[in-house]
Amino acid sequence: MTKLVQIYQRLLFFLRREKLASELEEEMRLHLEMKVQDYLDAGMNPEEARYAALRQFGNITKLKEESREMWGFRSLEALIQDLRYGTRMIRKYPGFTAIAVLSLALGIGANTAIFSMIDAILLKMLPVKDPKELVLLEWHSGSKFPARSLIGNISIDGENGPSKSTSFSYPAFEQFRNQSGSFKNIFAFADVYQLNASIEGHAELIRGQVVSGNYYSGLGLNAQIGRIITDQDDKSAGSEPVAVLSYRFWQSRFGGDLSTIGKTIFLNGNPFTIIGVTPQKFSGTLDIGNSPDISVPMAMQAMVMPGGSLLNDLDTWWVQIMGRLKLEVTQQQATAELNVFLEQSVNSSKASEDGRDPVKVELLSGSKGLSDMRKYYSEPLFILMSVVGMVLLIACINVANLLLARAGSRQKEIAVRLALGASRGRLIRQLLAESLLLSVIGGVLGLLLAYGIKDILFTFLPSFQESLVINIDIDARILGFTLGISLLTGILFGLAPAYRATRLDLTPALKASAKVLGRERARFGLAKILVIAQVALSLLMLIGAGLFVRTLQNLENVDSGFNPENVLLFRIDPTLNGYKGDQLVNLYKQIIERIQTIPGVRSASMSQHTLISGSSWIADISVPDFTPKPGQKKYVYCNGVEANFFKTMEIPILSGRSIEDQDNEKSPRVAVINEAMARIYFPNENPIGKNFKFGKSDKGSPVEIIGISRDAKYTSLRAEAPPTIYVPYLQNLKMLGAISYEIRFSGDPAGTLAAIRQEVQEVDKNLPLFKVKTQIKQMEESITQERQFARLSGLFGLLALLLASIGLYGIMSYSVARRTSEIGIRMALGATRKDVIWMVMREVVLLTLIGVIIGIPASLAATKIISSMLFGLTPTDPITISLATLVIITVVAFAGYIPARRASKVDPMTALRYE
Amino acid sequence: MEDNKNRKKSELLPGTLEMLILKSLERDCMHGYGIAQHIQRLSRDVLQVEEGSLYPALQRLQLKAWVVSEWGHSANNRRARYYRLTPAGRKQLGQEVANFNRMLEAILRVIEGPEEEGA
Repeated sequence: MTKLVQIYQRLLFFLRREKLASELEEEMRLHLEMKVQDYLDAGMNPEEARYAALRQFGNITKLKEESREMWGFRSLEALIQDLRYGTRMIRKYPGFTAIAVLSLALGIGANTAIFSMIDAILLKMLPVKDPKELVLLEWHSGSKFPARSLIGNISIDGENGPSKSTSFSYPAFEQFRNQSGSFKNIFAFADVYQLNASIEGHAELIRGQVVSGNYYSGLGLNAQIGRIITDQDDKSAGSEPVAVLSYRFWQSRFGGDLSTIGKTIFLNGNPFTIIGVTPQKFSGTLDIGNSPDISVPMAMQAMVMPGGSLLNDLDTWWVQIMGRLKLEVTQQQATAELNVFLEQSVNSSKASEDGRDPVKVELLSGSKGLSDMRKYYSEPLFILMSVVGMVLLIACINVANLLLARAGSRQKEIAVRLALGASRGRLIRQLLAESLLLSVIGGVLGLLLAYGIKDILFTFLPSFQESLVINIDIDARILGFTLGISLLTGILFGLAPAYRATRLDLTPALKASAKVLGRERARFGLAKILVIAQVALSLLMLIGAGLFVRTLQNLENVDSGFNPENVLLFRIDPTLNGYKGDQLVNLYKQIIERIQTIPGVRSASMSQHTLISGSSWIADISVPDFTPKPGQKKYVYCNGVEANFFKTMEIPILSGRSIEDQDNEKSPRVAVINEAMARIYFPNENPIGKNFKFGKSDKGSPVEIIGISRDAKYTSLRAEAPPTIYVPYLQNLKMLGAISYEIRFSGDPAGTLAAIRQEVQEVDKNLPLFKVKTQIKQMEESITQERQFARLSGLFGLLALLLASIGLYGIMSYSVARRTSEIGIRMALGATRKDVIWMVMREVVLLTLIGVIIGIPASLAATKIISSMLFGLTPTDPITISLATLVIITVVAFAGYIPARRASKVDPMTALRYE
Repeated sequence: MEDNKNRKKSELLPGTLEMLILKSLERDCMHGYGIAQHIQRLSRDVLQVEEGSLYPALQRLQLKAWVVSEWGHSANNRRARYYRLTPAGRKQLGQEVANFNRMLEAILRVIEGPEEEGA
């Protein structure tokens, strides 16, 4: 009640504040007059009386101010006033404002850009109904987990450690859906990876997924246009095949044409009717970067995935399951129930025949969909965020220094305000309003900058996928972040100068001219500490940038063990179009024979995996009389290759013979191994003629080693060439499906590629080529992250250097300007120009050296974090550190030399008259 | 001079100014100058208020609706603002005086405590 009265009173006061002010004034005047009268009556003379009355009364301005505070909303009024004043100051010093705002815009823009990536990748929830309710099922087991075959991600900790995955068999999902009482709804989906789609006679490779009929209703999604897949569509394999498109695919492939609905699209040769488009913002629940272009019901799984139906297969685990728990059900209750069902399901599978580890279900948060890739991206994002954080810090220091210098020239103005009764807090608030204004302008520009560069920044992300699709839009969270850091930086760089500026000894400040003031040292002390900090931070960033640049150089110059120049690569997957058995092998051969006839093709071959593509085939092998040392990996890298592979890639065969055309599915099993393999498995003997088998389950005859090849990198440029086995691709028929071609050519790659496309078209016009690129391009792509890190850190490093130079230049110019008369005296007394330059430079060099001395150990400590990202050098690399140090000393010294030279040009006469 | 200052001026305890104003207005309405005079006179010049600070305090009291003001005329016929206690203000005064007395007693007990024990 009393609160209400007070608010009412306050409002009344506020509305009548003009009147109140004049009344208060009148009241105070009356008071003083009465007092004076009393003193006069007591016999004082008029002047004395007036003086005594005023002294007795106190500071009138301050008292008025204090009263006004109470008339409500005073702070708001003051804020508006402060901002208006700030705007005036900003307009008065356009040069200062430009430098400050630019520094801040760069700093804040870089931070917003990186944050928007973090937001999109790590923070954003699925754009569905109540994403927080969603749970994702994951199972945990031991090294002998119950899935015979698994599609999707599995993580196995070490050799025998625990395993976990989010892939389940479809029958297990059906059991959960039909029997579990814990869920409001539970639905499944699975990545189909590649689909051969043919639309209006044009074949292309797209990405698809299969979803259970209740997938969209479970997520709470409706169609953008048309309708969504429902349970009705998922009834049986015989029902009418339907598909929904993603909004992005609909836009890019169909131009957003409404008549797309109802059209037929052929997926792996089977007709599907397009019934709708999914919502614009929704890019699926698969992992980041795996956005399906098209979704079809589970019932049509066999039509879009080669290899037959998995819907009754207990042994292949491939679907991801999400759901929403009923309100009254706890996680424990739900998992207990699911464990029982999963156990039943596993017990009726073939896994129960071998000994197997028990399996338990856990519920993860499903609010972001599948998240394995997120973990992978979080480290580089964290490092980038720290880097841009440092840039912002340096920018802040710069602006703080500029403000500090300017506060010097405004000292007299501030002294007058203080003397007139402005409280110190009030002045600090006003100076802060000014710096906040600067930072908010910087923030707005920074936001625009971030919006401009966000798409470029995204290319830094290492992409294993052909197309990494991440939706970034500037949302409330990003706006909030930008506003937050803008205000924070405003306070950060504004507070110290404001505090300093208002700590004045009034009398000398008022008396002195603005140029010659005492207590300079303290102010300069702070400015110098800030410059030292900038030098140290810039050095840290330059060293970091240097390490990334040298890592990139090392990777670009690393010996891959093969010749990547003039090699074209592409891949086909005829199994999507139904080729199998002999038909498939004939197709492979037909294509390679045709390619070999193309003029300019010097050599062509096939392999199951191309080099440095990131994909590989890993297998357990058993070699007689060989027991692995503890800690040694039990698996090797394998590749199925065609006879010309070594010739095409120019990998020399060091001894024995290469794989030849007669090594086919009917001839004895043979293999070429590389030096690393020979070193590990046959340390003191000649491996040629020796045998091995692929794991314990290999029922075939032993494989004979026929040759040794030189080490060549396989999966990545970073890793040493792993122990590798090359087998004839025809002796690995089980694994045949998609295959890659490598073509060594001379002349124009575009012409060669066109000819290749032509030949493949003639064999089968519905066979799309994919992953078409040169070997060089493929290797460049494998180090995209390193390249982008080198570029970004270099860019940010230079930015830091530039900002630090501006900082030092500013502070030295200011110091020189203040010492003009001193310099004049020195020169009048016989100091030479050289002496003057040296006097200034001594300070510059000292500041820089202190910065370097602090910066180097700081860098050594900080760069430890990135040591795992480096290649071919350690974080303590002396060349990088000395180069960075040299660069910073040179650049900063140059920035300091400009004001030093200006000082030496001072005319003693003018300087002495200066006062 | 220094001695004089010490004897004459006693700083007010924080928060007591408002109580003194309320007390001054207990019997009669007064203008600001009158309140200042009243406090000074009754405290026999020991409590010397920085007179200006009465005014922000009066604003505060009005805001809390313990005091209302109206314009009238002073003894020598000048326009002056007179302040009057409201019932809520009277209640507040009672409370503040009681609180203050309790605190004063407590302080006195602390100050005189050891002497009594010693006696």
